[in-house]
Amino acid sequence: MSDTSPPAPATDAVLEPEPSEPVGAVQVRPARSRRTTAVKVVLAAVAAVVVFLAPAYIDAEYLTVANWVMVGAVGGMGLTMLVGQAGQLSLAHSFFALVGGVSYAVLAGPRDEASYTGLGLPSLLAAVLAVLCAGLVGAAFAPISGRLRGIYLGVASLSLVFVGFWLARELPSLAGSTSSGRYAPSLNLFGFDFGELHPELHVLNVPMGKVERSFWLYAALTALAYVLGRGALSGRVGRGWRALRDNEAVATVMGVSVVRQKALAFAVSSAYAGLAGVMVVWWYDGLMKPDESVDFGTYSTTAAISYLAICVIGGLGSLGGAVLGSVVVFGLPQIIQLVTSSDDYSGTGFTPGVITNFVFGSLIVLIILFEPRGLAGLGARLRAVLRR
Amino acid sequence: MDTLVQVLVNGVGKGAVFALLATGFVIIYKATETINFAHGSLVLVAGYVAYEVKSDHGWLLGVVAGVLAAMLFAFLVERVLLANARHAHADSLAILTIGIDVVVVTEISRRLGTAAAPFLGDPYDTKPIHILGASVARTYVVALLVALVLLGAFFLAFRYTSWGLAMRAQSENSEAAALMGIRSWRVTASAWAVGGGLAGIAVIFLATNDIGGGSGLLASHTLAFAAFPAAIIGGLTSPGGAVAGGLIVGLTDALASQYVSLEFAKVAVYLVMLAVLVVRPSGLFGRVEQLRV
Amino acid sequence: MSRNLTSCAVAFAAVAALGLSACSTKAADDSTGGGSGSGGSGSAGVKTDIGVTASEITLAALTDTSGVFKVLGLGITQGNQMWADDVNKTGGICGRKIKITTHDTGYSAEKAVPLYSKLKADNLGMIQLIGSPTLAALKKPLTDDKIAAIPASWASTNLDVPNVVMIGPTYDIESINGLSRLQSQGKIKDGDTIGHIYVDSEYGKNGALGTKYYASKHKMKVVEATVTSTESDLTAAVTKLKAGGVKAFLLTTTPAQTASAVGVATAQGLNVPIHGSGPTFTPQLLDTPVAAALMSGRYTTDAPQLPVQSDNPKVKEISAAFKKAHPGQVETYGPILGYASGLVWGSILKQACSDGDLTRAGVLAAVRKTTVDTQGLTPPLDFTKPGQPSSRSMFLMVPAKVPGGLKLVQTEPYVSPDAQTYKTPFQK
Repeated sequence: MSDTSPPAPATDAVLEPEPSEPVGAVQVRPARSRRTTAVKVVLAAVAAVVVFLAPAYIDAEYLTVANWVMVGAVGGMGLTMLVGQAGQLSLAHSFFALVGGVSYAVLAGPRDEASYTGLGLPSLLAAVLAVLCAGLVGAAFAPISGRLRGIYLGVASLSLVFVGFWLARELPSLAGSTSSGRYAPSLNLFGFDFGELHPELHVLNVPMGKVERSFWLYAALTALAYVLGRGALSGRVGRGWRALRDNEAVATVMGVSVVRQKALAFAVSSAYAGLAGVMVVWWYDGLMKPDESVDFGTYSTTAAISYLAICVIGGLGSLGGAVLGSVVVFGLPQIIQLVTSSDDYSGTGFTPGVITNFVFGSLIVLIILFEPRGLAGLGARLRAVLRR
Repeated sequence: MDTLVQVLVNGVGKGAVFALLATGFVIIYKATETINFAHGSLVLVAGYVAYEVKSDHGWLLGVVAGVLAAMLFAFLVERVLLANARHAHADSLAILTIGIDVVVVTEISRRLGTAAAPFLGDPYDTKPIHILGASVARTYVVALLVALVLLGAFFLAFRYTSWGLAMRAQSENSEAAALMGIRSWRVTASAWAVGGGLAGIAVIFLATNDIGGGSGLLASHTLAFAAFPAAIIGGLTSPGGAVAGGLIVGLTDALASQYVSLEFAKVAVYLVMLAVLVVRPSGLFGRVEQLRV
Repeated sequence: MSRNLTSCAVAFAAVAALGLSACSTKAADDSTGGGSGSGGSGSAGVKTDIGVTASEITLAALTDTSGVFKVLGLGITQGNQMWADDVNKTGGICGRKIKITTHDTGYSAEKAVPLYSKLKADNLGMIQLIGSPTLAALKKPLTDDKIAAIPASWASTNLDVPNVVMIGPTYDIESINGLSRLQSQGKIKDGDTIGHIYVDSEYGKNGALGTKYYASKHKMKVVEATVTSTESDLTAAVTKLKAGGVKAFLLTTTPAQTASAVGVATAQGLNVPIHGSGPTFTPQLLDTPVAAALMSGRYTTDAPQLPVQSDNPKVKEISAAFKKAHPGQVETYGPILGYASGLVWGSILKQACSDGDLTRAGVLAAVRKTTVDTQGLTPPLDFTKPGQPSSRSMFLMVPAKVPGGLKLVQTEPYVSPDAQTYKTPFQK
């Protein structure tokens, strides 16, 4: 829903170097922006109505998928800002999601559980603090991120995934046991609980259960993440990051503090990942469970690479693209699994799992082959065709 | 003492296999600036073809066919896919290789069906060798010797043949190389083929019970991930560094899993890598990038 | 701009129209299927809610036919289906035919969650649930939705709810039985040092629980080595055990890790008895370089169900049906376990039927009243004791070049006094 508003020129052109603004543009803007503001308000209202009514029409399993897509979208937006706008490659996004999830479980978890540490904070406060924690950990990576560039930075950050995997196993009282995990409460917003069925609620005669409620919550969080990201990118922060991306030396000469900008970019990006991590915990009905192996699972190297795939497929640096990328990377495998079935028990058959992987893998190859700027680039092309 | 000797020999043997993988990884990176996430797939393709051919035509033919198949596969990946995506960002190319990897892994495990743990086996007997009182599985020693010979041959070729010259010229400056008449596509495609070939050799050792452990072929795909830290530790632009990196990874892994814990071993490899990067941001032997204003 | 506004207005109108019509199909679905408990009554006057119609009972198999456990997943699913076919040939249960829907998770929890969300809308319960990450992710939803499921994992730490219907002994009991068998044979004695290599997960930790219990009762010292489930080279773990001077060791690992551990132990000259829990073996291991060591008699394993090579007439029937349906495929214990799972569901459904309540809640209540005779496929199963495994006996086996790769050590199921007195974590 956050894609329905037409992106402003400033962030639309993220892949090209920022065009220098013509002087005249300053006078044109106010008039133009008043109109676009009106359109935006209307569109946002429509989007809100659609989101409010959607759970009454969409089956629970597809809402579950939609919620998972929004987890990927929020995480992806954070990473695409770091990689596409600030030019810092990171393969640690799944680690920061783990930090967010564990922090939430510890902060919101009940105090009286024997085997798990919990502070029993209200869930909203815990979620906000968990996001902050993830951001701080991201900033703490500055001494290393400040020294490295490109693929070296990417693989260096990958080591955080390994460290996180190891720490989570060493500290089961915080992260939950690797076998059955630990449970954290769902979000309770001023008496309205997103995980419970109280108070009961019907929309169009359809009872709003956990999944339906979570859909509203996730849509709101995705919109919030999008709006905040847009704000950051179109302002001073975004300009600093792009200067960093285009040429560190020039940026330094221009008075941009490279180390501070890198730390800021990592902090913001990790905070987004932390929010995604909290959303993962809610998605699993409050279950926080570390992975059984570092290669596969929710916080694994595979997940880290998936977040990067979201950014590339969506179009590096584009926030709306991250949402589309997440539809492909997080959504598609689950959807194909839902709509296909097979009675082939030979072991070499084309089961739903096999088909899913084939479609997913080839789609990645095709998108990059034919639209290197990702789905955002495809969108830009479509718009250009329509305008003609 | 005998435990230490055993750990060291195992570490160096495993490291030699990682060195084969990392060297291929670095050559591919040098020629096409692509981080090849599908390196594990090159390993799998070779292993799968070798496994299929072996049953009818014996081990040696199987391995030869496997290595050739991996070279051909890598060559095709470069020619058919990467060559047609020239305008893509380097990160996009890396993600493209992930797409390839997903498809290859899925197809090969589908083809293997219920044959859960195929092994390539080895032509030499499995009796352990005794060195300084320690008993060491033969695979480690053979792997070390094969890697020494192969990497030696590769470095001679890299230094003294026209192919090696073209390779080095292109990675220095691809535009200048083109102006000098070096045909770029031959260099890039042959780099991929060599990377595939080295991965194909590596799988002979990875898909054994000694180095790869019990999952045989399928575990070798996961193990190939070690090429990453190995290549980074050595420095991505240095094939010699890749060999050093491979050995460091192998030794760190063996020592940490013996003297700390199996879980810590994988982390230890990455911690060593971080330590190296903090001191030398472009790896031990990597070329330090110069900033141009 | 005016065009934009127009399109907005159109969109608004469309949304409003949708809203006013209030014709959501979902609303209709939920009012008929939405678990009020008092729903329709079947032909026999039995109370029903979800997954049961007048002519059909639907059960789901949440399996893995493409991931790391596909060999097991395929086998169990085949057994489930064979049972359903047999039941339907003889008229079904409670006047209803059995229908099984299969769903492939690829051993991934994040794919299992939407699949569960889909299957819970029209399945009464689950005849199969593979994978401990999947069980962990679904345990709370299962409890909330009152759905009973037979997991293909045996950790006694999951027996806290009646929803988890586990067939046979749990991993901790396996360890205790395995060790006391070794001791009864004189391979180990009180005060010895023993080893245990296990996966650091629900599976392995539960196995280690039993070892610690047994060791404390017999004043033994345990050398533990933990591995992650994808670690395939167990050299370091075996070296650690060897350095600790173990007289025997247990494995609670994956089959691939069994191959590595047994191979490395042989290479290092650690020729002590090894007992592996049920999941440590698959017949494919006999095609690997460690086949000889596995068949030397040093390695024993166990299972809650009979092996493929058995004189039991039911097993022979299943095996023949399997060979006919899947010629050329390696035979595993999967179909036997799958068939036994079917028999368990059959008994539960019959109990619920005679209680006049085939709702989900009725099924859960029936579980606690059910004992099952699986025609000898497993030891007799008793689900009436909360928190306890349905059986503490298991079949002891050694690898052999026979169909299924295993043969019985003794025809009678084995249970040790220590295992009988052991108190499982949620035993009341």
